Amino acid sequence: MTTAAASLPLSLTVAVVAVGISAVSGSARRLLPTAVAILVPLGFSLLLVHGLSFPGGLTVLAQWGPVRVTAEGLAFAGGRGVQLSAVVLVLLLFSFSVSVPDLVAALSARGVRGRFAFVLASTLTLLPAIAARVDHIRQAQEARGLVIRRGPVARLAAFRQQVVPLVLSLVEDAGTRAAALEARGFGAPGPRTSYREVPDSAAQRLLRPALVLAAAAAVAWRLWPGSGGA
Amino acid sequence: MSSPSLTLPAAGPGAARKRRLLEAAGALAIAGTYIYLVLNQPADITGGPGSAPALIALSGFLVGAVLLIAAVLPTLPASTVALIPVALVLNIVLGQFVGSTLVPFYLDAVGTVLIAVLAGPAAGAATGALSSIIWSLFNPTVLPFAAGAALIGALAGLAARHGFFRRFYLAPVAGFVTGIIGGVVSAPVAAFVFGGTSGVATGAIVGAFRAMGDTLLAAITKQALISDPMDKAIVFTVVAVLVYALPRRARMQFPFLRKHRVLAGDTTDRAA
Repeated sequence: MTTAAASLPLSLTVAVVAVGISAVSGSARRLLPTAVAILVPLGFSLLLVHGLSFPGGLTVLAQWGPVRVTAEGLAFAGGRGVQLSAVVLVLLLFSFSVSVPDLVAALSARGVRGRFAFVLASTLTLLPAIAARVDHIRQAQEARGLVIRRGPVARLAAFRQQVVPLVLSLVEDAGTRAAALEARGFGAPGPRTSYREVPDSAAQRLLRPALVLAAAAAVAWRLWPGSGGA
Repeated sequence: MSSPSLTLPAAGPGAARKRRLLEAAGALAIAGTYIYLVLNQPADITGGPGSAPALIALSGFLVGAVLLIAAVLPTLPASTVALIPVALVLNIVLGQFVGSTLVPFYLDAVGTVLIAVLAGPAAGAATGALSSIIWSLFNPTVLPFAAGAALIGALAGLAARHGFFRRFYLAPVAGFVTGIIGGVVSAPVAAFVFGGTSGVATGAIVGAFRAMGDTLLAAITKQALISDPMDKAIVFTVVAVLVYALPRRARMQFPFLRKHRVLAGDTTDRAA
């Protein structure tokens, strides 16, 4: 692969620019630990898959039986790792800099069904609340005599004693919420008005279709036979 | 639970036809992409996220998943929609936790399968796809697996409809079969987009098969056939435990459970 999308400098530049933007906007302290937690296992996996056995590898650095560490394999794993890092960092930059209430309001205003916006917003607000809920359940079970012993069987039993009440209480809550939503016309068809208005400038309105077209054109260019695709 | 509105006009038959079309287009996009990838068997050493097979895998599977969500989500009753965030949270929390351990499993489908058993295959498929899309806000590597997650949800719902959750020993069997199908469909994504897997334990298995001389796609498919059936058998068993532990009042919210007599012992409240 010698095309632009697979070039190492481009991937590195994109990754560095993404980290730079997040540092400037102040989200780097949350973004970087998340990125490391995702990319480190991914990198190890790539090393195991390609670094230890690479069909096209000629320069053998070390060998035990069928396992051959080749320079080409390591280079391939490294290149792929950098490429995926660029993708992951850019997407994480989006999710850590977007304001969820604005995103939800914009989604409903753009004709995306209110249901998707509800699922998104509700998931993002439930996630932090879960930790507190798990803690309460553990305390309640400990008050009833739960002692977490060592060993896989005991741990599994303790896990079950905490997960079953957690899921049951969440399902129960969802039922209550469904009744409240239904009473407020959640299932009714027709247009909705939004309490929150997201400002939208003319430049942004122009830029969006332009970016969509550019992305589609880039994909078409890659897929067109003979123009540098696979 | 969800009675028809008395004051607002009901959606006409045209809207229902449009949704059927969307649903079919989504399923076709996913099936077509998979058939293309397997028939064409793009070269083993792939060019990463920018190469043609990766772009086809990404866009075909993603478009299919989005079409499925657009078709199914508006038809679901409020009781199911309110439960979807709970399912997504379960998927994300368990999946993130198990994914960071050295076990070659994922356990990222407990919520999806739970919805599929309570509300049917369509709801399961939509939940699976939504789960991947929303989880990708925290972990972008799961986004390409949206179609596979949707398939798991749909298959789990079908298993529930045909009574696989009525006998306790049948649930893991259904999970095993679901895992085989889901693993085979997800393997090309892992191969063409990531050139491997996203976990260390699964990566070690792929590396072992590759060292024995398999192509990348074959090695990842074999790894998926080791991990996925066991994983889904565990997930289906966990969901069976959870569903039977639900109080009757909570179960009563879901007409799918009663209509298809999904669970054992619910014969008395069988309604049309």
